[in-house]
Amino acid sequence: MLPEKITREMFDKLVSLAALELDEEESEYLRTELNHQLAAVKELSEIPIDEDIAPSLHGIDCQGNPPRPDEWQPFPDPDAILALAPETRGRYFVVPEIAQLSQEGK
Amino acid sequence: MNSTALSALEIARRVRAGELSASQVLEEHLAQITAVDGISGQLDPPALTPLEEQKVHAFIQVTADLARLQAEQVEAKLTHGEDPGPLAGVPVSIKDIFCVQGTTTTAGSRILYNFRPPYTATTVARLEQAGALILGKTNLDEFTYGSSSESSAFQPHPNNPWNTQHVTGGSSGGSAAAVAAHETPLSLGTDTGGSIRQPSAFCGVVGLKPTYGRTSRYGLIAFGSSLDCPGPLARTVSDAALMLQVLAGNDPKDSTSAIQPVPDYLAALAEGVRGLRIGISPDYDHIAYPDTKTGEMGIQAIQPEMNQAVREVAQVLASLGAEIVENVPMPNARHGIPTYFVISRVEAASNLHRFDGVKYGYRTQKPVQDLTELYRVTRAEGFGLQPKLRILMGMYVSAAAHSAHYYQKALRVRSLIRADFERAFDPSGPYRLDALLTPTTPTTAFRRKEVLGDSVLMQYSDQMTVGANHAGIPAISIPAGLDKQGLPIGVQFFGNDFREDLILRVAYAYEQATLQADWRQVIPQALRTAEVK
Amino acid sequence: MMTRYEIVVGLETHIQLNTETKIFCSCKADSWGAESNTNICPVCSGLPGVLPVLNAEAVHKGALLAAAMHAEINPISYFDRKNYFYPDLPKGYQITQFDEPIGKGGYLDVHMPDGSTRRVHIHKLHLEEDAGKTIIEAGQRLVDFNRCGVPLVEMVTEPDLHSGEEAAQYLTELRQLLRWIGVSEADMERGHLRCDANVSIREAGSTVLNTKTEIKNMNSIDSIRQAITLEAQRQIEAVEAGQRVESYTLDWDADTGTLRKMRSKETEADYRYFREPDLLSVVLSAEEIARIQTSLPELPYARKMRFIEEYQLSAYDADILTSERSLSDYYEEAVRLSGAAPKTISNWMMNDLTRLMNDLGKTAAELRLRPADLAKIIGLVENSKISPATGKALLKKVEESGRKPSEIVTAEGLSLIGDEDALRSQIEAVLSESPSEVASYKSGKESLLGWFVGQVMRRTGGKADPKRTRELLLELLKQ
Repeated sequence: MLPEKITREMFDKLVSLAALELDEEESEYLRTELNHQLAAVKELSEIPIDEDIAPSLHGIDCQGNPPRPDEWQPFPDPDAILALAPETRGRYFVVPEIAQLSQEGK
Repeated sequence: MNSTALSALEIARRVRAGELSASQVLEEHLAQITAVDGISGQLDPPALTPLEEQKVHAFIQVTADLARLQAEQVEAKLTHGEDPGPLAGVPVSIKDIFCVQGTTTTAGSRILYNFRPPYTATTVARLEQAGALILGKTNLDEFTYGSSSESSAFQPHPNNPWNTQHVTGGSSGGSAAAVAAHETPLSLGTDTGGSIRQPSAFCGVVGLKPTYGRTSRYGLIAFGSSLDCPGPLARTVSDAALMLQVLAGNDPKDSTSAIQPVPDYLAALAEGVRGLRIGISPDYDHIAYPDTKTGEMGIQAIQPEMNQAVREVAQVLASLGAEIVENVPMPNARHGIPTYFVISRVEAASNLHRFDGVKYGYRTQKPVQDLTELYRVTRAEGFGLQPKLRILMGMYVSAAAHSAHYYQKALRVRSLIRADFERAFDPSGPYRLDALLTPTTPTTAFRRKEVLGDSVLMQYSDQMTVGANHAGIPAISIPAGLDKQGLPIGVQFFGNDFREDLILRVAYAYEQATLQADWRQVIPQALRTAEVK
Repeated sequence: MMTRYEIVVGLETHIQLNTETKIFCSCKADSWGAESNTNICPVCSGLPGVLPVLNAEAVHKGALLAAAMHAEINPISYFDRKNYFYPDLPKGYQITQFDEPIGKGGYLDVHMPDGSTRRVHIHKLHLEEDAGKTIIEAGQRLVDFNRCGVPLVEMVTEPDLHSGEEAAQYLTELRQLLRWIGVSEADMERGHLRCDANVSIREAGSTVLNTKTEIKNMNSIDSIRQAITLEAQRQIEAVEAGQRVESYTLDWDADTGTLRKMRSKETEADYRYFREPDLLSVVLSAEEIARIQTSLPELPYARKMRFIEEYQLSAYDADILTSERSLSDYYEEAVRLSGAAPKTISNWMMNDLTRLMNDLGKTAAELRLRPADLAKIIGLVENSKISPATGKALLKKVEESGRKPSEIVTAEGLSLIGDEDALRSQIEAVLSESPSEVASYKSGKESLLGWFVGQVMRRTGGKADPKRTRELLLELLKQ
């Protein structure tokens, strides 16, 4: 039985999973909008669909490119990619450490 | 005659014939931008004067230097007797969702405010190779999320040149406005739920969403990967055809890029509509709209002038020899927006995962304890409300516990929507249509701030267009009049897979038959108040 | 105490395919030793606007591995997105195969030291992209995307293994198989073959699956053996002491030989899998699948058994000769071309040729000395055209010069004296020059025979066939 509405608690968990953080005003606004959207999509569940209707991943039957040959084609300017980073050290991208990876010890 | 009054076809013809220099074309269009556009969209805009409030603000970035280099190249080619390309000297603007080396590509978002891609989108590269002059990046809804272009982090957002108190529509609002205001004759936009067609309708220009896969998505910052289509905006149908000719075709860098051959769109244009079957559907003369408290779907009338325009267009086409097929049922049209809410959000949420402040773009300046906090604060500060809303919705409906109920179901409803079109276009079916005629939008351009904030209402602006994205089929919006307020009315033709040629042909026939219509002689407000030399 | 318990082990392996390029872009698949962030492009660094393009060879090798693992090759398989945030994952999602993978079911028959065969089942076999690497320096995490997008095959076994030793054996045979069919170099030190273990215990005879712990960071087969054995022991001791086994992830420290708790294994993260919209389904036609099946070479164990039967080799010899594919191919070719007994050829290969290969650090496939050359050399020795010592030396000479054995023999005058009369006269000359030694021999000092042989060798500059010399000496000394 799926919840009819997203509660504040569910919402906050979702925000955390999404790697976001919101202030009070944003939270309330977005949660309201989310619930409105859920109401709008509610009708989807009531549409009767035959067993044999398959999901459409793309609207048309995509006849695209076959897999490519296994040939090395180096990108001409990897430095340009590194140069985009907000912080680098030498040739590395830098991030702060991850809190929950510190050992719990045995 | 100032080249800003010319079509792209005519500019290219004159430049290639040596009658007009690319540099002159460029400078005249830059002057037009100066005259009508006002300040460009920016992160920390100043307060706007009343005069600025009446400007178009189509651009985030004007790339005059880049364009000048391109104009020189066109001229050099001509001097050396080389072919400068089918778009030689034609100014084009690019929705700022396309990566273009040598420009910043912001996606209308703070989180990419300084992103300078080391590569160029395939569609833009093709325009460049065809001799086009890239004049600038147009403003848009943030990450293309919206139908009014108001949500951009770069303000002021674009204004509708017909009445600057009204929105351009979105998300290719800057593109539609730039074309309508004669700043560029062509613009490259994207259409995920209607984002080319709806602003085209609002701004009185031609906008085409090609078949999915017809134009390459490589270099397009993704919203809904299974829905996004790059496409042309122009003031005339033949200009749209010309631009599509350059854009269309397989790209090895895009696995979903179609392998179907590209026909000659211009050649087929003038073949007329005699004997073509053009359908009208009762399911497209109203919208199904939900009660946001209960989820109950109700019927809502659309602006009466929209249905009237459809009837008038049908009459014109009938007088040209087309067969109008009434009462074509499209029973699943009503499910278009709910389905879109689910599918596009799931893809969007995932596509936005990569914006984390580590590799490029914005990173918070606040001191953070650890990586998780870096992600959260960067994304919180970098994203506006619309991306946040889409991320949350997308994550919710794709959560393991909900996925079958929402996402898997939506994919199957999508098949039903597709089936409606298949039945309509089936050459051995009951309707055997060459095109389906509908209004493009439920209303003409609404006022600024009128809808922003109501995410459901905003999305429903796309109810008439979104079916083409679900089904993957092509669709074109063309101007079909002005409403009582003087705002543009657009009508739409849906076509079968890879039959852009047919819908262009139908649109062209209508356009040519109504060239002298009074409403086509009206000049948009922003052009009246500007000093155009 | 331990006999009351059964250890239950499942292994999760990631295999790096040895394609030229990454799975979704045209950067190199192998950038070992390259400077960080040099083997990157917009696609594998997760820049905005880019799209993945599938490598045909990755599909082929994945399907080949599936066939070798007796898995069912799915004619249509799909890629999915696995969404989560981590710095070594530039897109914020990994492209993998979730519910419709390239291979379904499958097994590897593992030959245990006690002579038994254990069929270790795998649930499925799927393709996915590798993540980048991170290192910690001064409280910061440094990220390198060189490895992002390298093609991986993931295989998870059922809990069919019951000790660290068995797990080690599984991995040994898996590694051999991977190299054999040419889909991976499978060098664990370079991360070509990675393994995590799930370990639990239960009462012997039970079929229940109890709480398991996960062991990570085992970078060699030895580590796997040790870590699993240690963990099983720890669990048994805990249970015996009345405690419960808790679900933890453990980190193996090879330096100290200890396990460290990393974090409790929380409820499975929700990865919100959905079909990758940027890629089409992976399609293999019936013809292609059939071609892949038939292209599978004779696999190591089958070949070993055949060598034992067909060539009458010992299990030991057959084992060594089939440890690596090009070696076994080389052997068979040499047998085919040579008239000598397979056992003879086997001896040559396992001793002198192996020594040569080790000295040069080459596999059999990389030698300039081809099976035909080896067959020729062995033939020359067998037919007494050259001495065995010369034959052994010839191996190196051919390898270094690239010239044919007979060419070198002629050029350097290495032939044994072929003319029986000439040999006889040399022997008679030696005997006549050493009358006292002949007398000693005849009066019983038969050990002098070797001395006579030596003299003949000296006199002929090593060109006397030792065997024939001996025979003739015996004959002449009888007189």
